Amino acid sequence: MWWGAFGRNRPGREFQDDLELTKRTLRIAKFDKAVVAVFNVFVSLAPFASYFLGTAGFGLTSAVSLSLTVSFGFTALYTIQTLSSFMSPESSALLSTLPLNRDDFSLITLFSFVRSFDYMVIGSIISQVVMVAYFTASPVATLIMLVASAMNALFAVAVALWFSRIFQRNMLRGGRSKANTLLRLFFILMWGLLLIAVGFLFSIPWYIVPNLQTTLLGAGHVWNLLLTLLYPFSTGIAVTATVSHVASTSLALASATLVAYGLLSFFAGKWSLETVRLVSQGFGVNVSRVTAHDFSVKPRGVLLGYVSKDLKVASRNPATAFFFALPVLETVIITLLNSNFGALRTILVLVGASLGAVFALFLPLALLSAEGKGLEYTKTLPIGSCQIVVPKALISTATYVPVPLALAVFSLFKPLTSSSTLLIPILMILPVASASVFEIKLFLRTAAQGKIASVFNDFEKLTLGVAVILAPVFVYSATFLLAFNHVFSLLAMSAVALAETAAAYWLLRRS
Amino acid sequence: MMNSKYNYFHVFGTTDMHPGLVRYNLFKGQIGICFQAGNVYLQKNFSFPAEPLIETSGLTKQFGAIQALSDVNLRVMPGEIYGLLGPNGAGKTTTIKTLIGLQEPTSGRIKVLGLEPIKNPIEVKSKIGYVAENPIVYDSLSPRDFLEFVASIRKTNRASTEDLITQLANAFDMAQYFDSPIATLSLGMKQKVALVASFIHQPPVLLLDEPLNGLDAKSSRIVKELVGFHAQKGGAVLFSTHIMEVAEQVCTRIGIIYQGKIIAEGTLEELRGKTEGGGTLEEVFLKLTHEESEVADTMRMLREAFFHSEAK
Repeated sequence: MWWGAFGRNRPGREFQDDLELTKRTLRIAKFDKAVVAVFNVFVSLAPFASYFLGTAGFGLTSAVSLSLTVSFGFTALYTIQTLSSFMSPESSALLSTLPLNRDDFSLITLFSFVRSFDYMVIGSIISQVVMVAYFTASPVATLIMLVASAMNALFAVAVALWFSRIFQRNMLRGGRSKANTLLRLFFILMWGLLLIAVGFLFSIPWYIVPNLQTTLLGAGHVWNLLLTLLYPFSTGIAVTATVSHVASTSLALASATLVAYGLLSFFAGKWSLETVRLVSQGFGVNVSRVTAHDFSVKPRGVLLGYVSKDLKVASRNPATAFFFALPVLETVIITLLNSNFGALRTILVLVGASLGAVFALFLPLALLSAEGKGLEYTKTLPIGSCQIVVPKALISTATYVPVPLALAVFSLFKPLTSSSTLLIPILMILPVASASVFEIKLFLRTAAQGKIASVFNDFEKLTLGVAVILAPVFVYSATFLLAFNHVFSLLAMSAVALAETAAAYWLLRRS
Repeated sequence: MMNSKYNYFHVFGTTDMHPGLVRYNLFKGQIGICFQAGNVYLQKNFSFPAEPLIETSGLTKQFGAIQALSDVNLRVMPGEIYGLLGPNGAGKTTTIKTLIGLQEPTSGRIKVLGLEPIKNPIEVKSKIGYVAENPIVYDSLSPRDFLEFVASIRKTNRASTEDLITQLANAFDMAQYFDSPIATLSLGMKQKVALVASFIHQPPVLLLDEPLNGLDAKSSRIVKELVGFHAQKGGAVLFSTHIMEVAEQVCTRIGIIYQGKIIAEGTLEELRGKTEGGGTLEEVFLKLTHEESEVADTMRMLREAFFHSEAK
């Protein structure tokens, strides 16, 4: 017999708690969405601001094109994080118990789908349309921008939905054959790289900005033709044509391209709606079961067992899987940094190592957030907080290791300003490990606090982490400015790095 | 005296009752007699240590203004299955969480295997098998990955772990789900995974918080038997439940917890003796918690509302 209904204990209290929790969750969700929307508006406005301030190379065409490209990248990046859980099999489980017909299901699911990105999409559309209206004072240009901006959002959401669906399908595939495991690994890497590539859309356009405006308006040029085939650029050309002269061939091609993309966006929207309808009926992602032929397990010892678990958990979480592509990203950044210089200068090594280290700092928090409620279970196991911290710090440090390796490879092809320079990225391994330990310890200390508080706490943790990483770099630079001696600077840097490591070790021992 | 319902002998002496099983500790522990399934076993050097494996005295826990536990005194001896019975919110989960050291008591003393969980968390946790009320497991892992993780942390022997997992997984029909993400499993299957994980290191103490949640009849039966085997080997079990039938079937001793206090404790017979007219455990429970009249009123109101709305 179930006694809950008859218990006199705390009448109505659980209901009140649930209600308060629900309200709080909604407030947090709105707060998160608002923060992301404000950032999206900011990145959408930035190219127009550059145009307004008269930054060299910026014209209306490049401002419109870059605004669309950047908001596409950001919308897709954010929406992938939220739609992955929308695509999961549980998302429709609760609704399916209610006495609703299929149309109502679909409608509710559609609303929850739209609510996951509404603020940011509306924010970017309004900001882009208002900017174009302000700069052109042309109703036609404003209308073109409205259509293009809506199309842009539709494409971003469709791409995110597609990514999320593939990710979920792959993650839910059961079985442990080597082929399946390899496929999953390959998929995670591809997924991470694609996601980072989407993120790169933020920065890559800026490299080509100086030539963009002239390329876009330079009719007959091959690059002009190619770029006009992409809707952000064709929109830029079409908008510019309403206020100034644009070569007729460019305008004709841009218009035709826009019509084609309009049609494509119609199909993207239709596909997205159909996917949402499938999700509402519980067919978003099918779960396939593979019968196990044995029940063998391999106990690996505490450290290896925890590392292995952390890697599996984080790689199967859509919000954290792309961190596994960090080593690739770090290598790309270092390559880009060094590609324009003849020698491997100390300043470049310092900047490259610092950037790589800061990127690696995202991993401890990602690993902890991927653990989620599982951490509650871990606390019931005979394991101290030290044994929770060390595996995460090791994984984070491992993601930094490609940085010294990449710089070492560069040193084979480029001369070094000082032979001791190559020791800098190797020494930086210590601050990365220490910063990871500090971050995780801070997280574990504040884990019980609310989400809004944790937004600030995350900032606090990252600030501390960045400070720990930059302190040795700062000491190296300061010592060099005073002594003009690389070896002496390296010794000073080592002292700081070792002191940080000692502090991290002491903190670990204390727990 | 033979109890036909539960098929055990109720005799004078130290006993650990279990359906189908009774143990007598004779001659100061030199010989033990076990009756099980019609067989009689004699056991030399029968030894259940005299010390309780779980002991609390004056245990209180306060959450702000809410008194979750108030002067809880528990003793669970080796070979005993102690049922902590009470309505939702009575303090069962809080008791278990303080025993495992997940929550620090406001006051009072706790000893698990003679150790204080707050002062010796790792030692205590290494000797406890715990199943939470809502199975908390890593959703993105498969049961195999999860059990591998638990076995790694608990530093178990590979061969014996595999053997145990194979037995339990077969018993719980887990083959089809063993390599699927836990997120895709039913509540019952998640509960089975949590149960297997709690047995993986064969701990002397089991803390089971509503372990039959979501389980089908066959699996429930298996869990009850496993708990019995564990007690037969001299282990102690704290079995929290709000289901009277489960407490009646599984537990050798029952503590009724209500509004954070243990209001009655003893064997089923002893509890019956504490109320007029005895009856089933459900009736005993209602009498002890003084909820009998409240339930009667509620049922009357519900009956009226139910038939009234039907007539409409």
